[in-house]
Amino acid sequence: MRRKATKFELWGVAVAAFVMIILLPVLNATPVGSFLHVSNFTINLYGKYLCYGLLAISVDLLWGYTGLLSLGQALFFTLGGYMMGMYLMRMIGTLGQYHQPIPDFLVFLGWSRLPEFWKPFSSFPFAFFMAMLLPGTLALVFGFLAFRSRIRGVYFSILTQALTYAATLLFFRNNLLMGGNNGFTDFKFIFGYDLREPATQRGLYIATGLTVLIVYLGCRWLSRTKFGLVQQAIRDSENRVLFSGYAAGNYKLFIFVLAALIGSVGGMLFVPQVGIINPSEMAPDKSLEAVVWVAVGGRGTLLGPILGAFGVNAFKSWATRAYPDLWQILLGGLFVVVTLFMPKGLVGLPEQLRGIKKRFDARRSKAVSEPTITPVSRTAEELAKIK
Amino acid sequence: MKSALKLFAGLLLVYLLCRSARAATELSDSEVRGQLVKTLLSTGEEQQTNLTQLADAGSRLVHDVLTAWTRDGVYLMDGPDNTKIPVLLEEQTDVDGKARAVRIADGQFIKDDKGQELRFAATDLTTADTDMRLRSAIQQTLDALALSDPNPDARRSAILKLGNSGKEKNILLLQARQEKETDAVTKKTLNEAIALLQLGSADSSVQIAAVRKLASLNSIGSLDNLKRLVADPKTNPSVAGETKRAISSIQEHIQWVNFFGTIFRGMSLGSILLVVALGLAITFGLMGVINMAHGEMIAVGAYTCYVVQNIFGSGFGFTINLPFSIAGHQLGFGMHLPGLNATGLFYESYFLFALPLSFLTAALAGLAIERSVIRFLYRRPLESLLATWGISLIMQQCFRMVFGANNVQVNSPSWMQGHFSLNDVLFGYNRVFVIVFAVVIVIGTWLLLTKTPLGLLIRAVMQNRNMASCIGVRTDRVNMMTFAFGSGLAGLAGSFLSQIGNVGPSMGQDHIVNAFMTVVVGGVGSIVGTVYSALGVGTGDQVLQQVTGSPVAGKIVMLVLIILFLQWKPGGLFAIRSRSLD
Repeated sequence: MRRKATKFELWGVAVAAFVMIILLPVLNATPVGSFLHVSNFTINLYGKYLCYGLLAISVDLLWGYTGLLSLGQALFFTLGGYMMGMYLMRMIGTLGQYHQPIPDFLVFLGWSRLPEFWKPFSSFPFAFFMAMLLPGTLALVFGFLAFRSRIRGVYFSILTQALTYAATLLFFRNNLLMGGNNGFTDFKFIFGYDLREPATQRGLYIATGLTVLIVYLGCRWLSRTKFGLVQQAIRDSENRVLFSGYAAGNYKLFIFVLAALIGSVGGMLFVPQVGIINPSEMAPDKSLEAVVWVAVGGRGTLLGPILGAFGVNAFKSWATRAYPDLWQILLGGLFVVVTLFMPKGLVGLPEQLRGIKKRFDARRSKAVSEPTITPVSRTAEELAKIK
Repeated sequence: MKSALKLFAGLLLVYLLCRSARAATELSDSEVRGQLVKTLLSTGEEQQTNLTQLADAGSRLVHDVLTAWTRDGVYLMDGPDNTKIPVLLEEQTDVDGKARAVRIADGQFIKDDKGQELRFAATDLTTADTDMRLRSAIQQTLDALALSDPNPDARRSAILKLGNSGKEKNILLLQARQEKETDAVTKKTLNEAIALLQLGSADSSVQIAAVRKLASLNSIGSLDNLKRLVADPKTNPSVAGETKRAISSIQEHIQWVNFFGTIFRGMSLGSILLVVALGLAITFGLMGVINMAHGEMIAVGAYTCYVVQNIFGSGFGFTINLPFSIAGHQLGFGMHLPGLNATGLFYESYFLFALPLSFLTAALAGLAIERSVIRFLYRRPLESLLATWGISLIMQQCFRMVFGANNVQVNSPSWMQGHFSLNDVLFGYNRVFVIVFAVVIVIGTWLLLTKTPLGLLIRAVMQNRNMASCIGVRTDRVNMMTFAFGSGLAGLAGSFLSQIGNVGPSMGQDHIVNAFMTVVVGGVGSIVGTVYSALGVGTGDQVLQQVTGSPVAGKIVMLVLIILFLQWKPGGLFAIRSRSLD
């Protein structure tokens, strides 16, 4: 049964990957006006959703697989984005509004030469290195402190939220020299290619698609190793894992850093496609939104987060255009409904429906129902064992 | 609270004493007028004496006439028997530039034989001339008049003006006032002003005495003058040395004033945080529900305040058009509440009505949320976070649709505006009110939780829901009441915040992160812990803002400190001890 489901999932992923990574870009390359043409706008939009998918996977690795609800994941996403943004800002060269060799906002702040820490960002490898180092180190230090003192559950959530809140306040400041509340925008080139060219955007889209695929497969592999099993055991009962002699803290720390890196890569791909990065991307509600994508898609699965990121954002795009005044209400309503009625999300929906049907059938066939009171102290697993 | 009352009573007493003392010497209106006419018509030494006497009259009329006199606005008309009649022209002129003339002697208009009011142009009349010497005497009388103004604030500003005038002859004027002055604060200001003037004395011993006096008075206002004195190369070295000592002593005083000001602001900020966090301490700390819509409960309270204010004023109404239409009819709804058009004290009292109402509306909103969503999620705390966040989005949008996306204006009642100062530290009434308010709320909550049957049930359910249920507690109902109470507290906090902060659709978001941090630092489930941590976080925030010199940097340092603090005490200040593991 399980193997069949796995096979089905893999086939589905293969088809989706083919459509998203090969078919759509090819159709986008067809001449404008042709019957099969996919617009640049669509490609750009899907590219953005895929980046959000990476963020969602990083949330799910923590929440769905390890039981750590991080409300600060967008921070790592944005940090990656900022590192990429710094590289892209350097690539503008003298084409800015002030025609100066330094970014416009620095001219605006009265700088005449580049601050030292900006200099190495002219090189992409360095920017990439920093995009791994900065979020990674932040996650390592924060995670080390948090897990060492066994901060877990709600407390972990609140602390991560405070962390991203503090970072948002920091990045809003002009004297951080990171663009203040306007952030970075007006990018021109990446690796020498013009960012406004459809071909460049297509390339970025394909890169994003491939990254998502690789991350998906990697996480899938990880979740099946012994490491992945310990990870899920921590989610289900951290104390039992501790008593069995595993250093749960180290496992959590590894996952926390890994998730930060995945988020950061998502941010790096996000910035050149969206063309802007500013501190509001790391505000606490962005991280919450990412958590909601995972909840809607189905946590504890790897397809769920990607589906959720796609679905919720597509819904948001539609609702903001169709009902600009009501979309927040629709979005909020969606979260409430999903949390209340679909605890396993979209991915778990078929199973949930089957369960309802089974219960319904059972009730119909049995006139006398079993006592419905269940002992509260027993978990679902224990009950299953007794049965 | 008690000392504040005492202080207030003291001030009131002093004020009343001043009034009664003044009443005894006050001249009647006609006497004042007679004196004025006499002064205007006399000459030479006699005029000077008359002027000095006028200074004691202390009437608004004297001020007006004398001011007009210095500006050539007093005219002398020929009266019968070769006498002169001093008159003033009305400011309001007709098309010919003519105005009615008021006789100073009795305040009546000049009329012709038939009782018709006469109009004159300024150029037609002879002005009561003044020379340099007279003008300076008049100015002196005016200054003395200002010094005897019945309003202590006006008196103080007149004193300070003279003190900074740099004219040594004003010392006599001030000293004359000093003998009569009864108000303690004004007396201090007088001393300060005299010492300031004495700084300019040629006699260095007088200067040194003045500098010492200023230092002992901790006169912040004289700091600039003292610095100038030191910088002046003509200053006697012994005076300069004394002045330097005085400057450092005053600067030390300023530091203390800033320190206490910071502590006071921190306390009031902490009190706001406390009221916000107290509701959260109940819903989150006691019930384990992570209510991300708690911030919106604050907004409900604040908007209730706004609506009540408008009902006391011109009324409140709104209409919402939904983007749907059925058979060509646009769907939508609206409401209009007529206003009471209250004025004066009744209008000012709107806040007293708004306070309980904001508690009620927020409690009702909380009740609705608990019944419709949260009660299904007691076993899934992390998911209650998501659902309540959805609710918070919905509520924010509803606020936007009803009240608009911009901040709304909530006016503080006049009795909450203003401040009093104690030893140069300013205490705003609204901030004092927050602190008092927070104390009342904390005590009320504590009484409710520990002294009432409901409190007993709440604590029982929170400690062990299943056990409480087994012995017959209707846990469902207790949950409902607890959640409503927690939300109501947030509403109270909101009505309070409306008096000192902005009221807008996303106002709740500004407070929610801090409130959660406060509860976590205090120790989840501990009300006492929340009190300490709110005051600590509030004061720490203000102190760090002073130290780092920027509000944002202060906030960031505070958050980092909190994270580090939780390393040391992961359970918060007052962790609830328990043998259970999870």
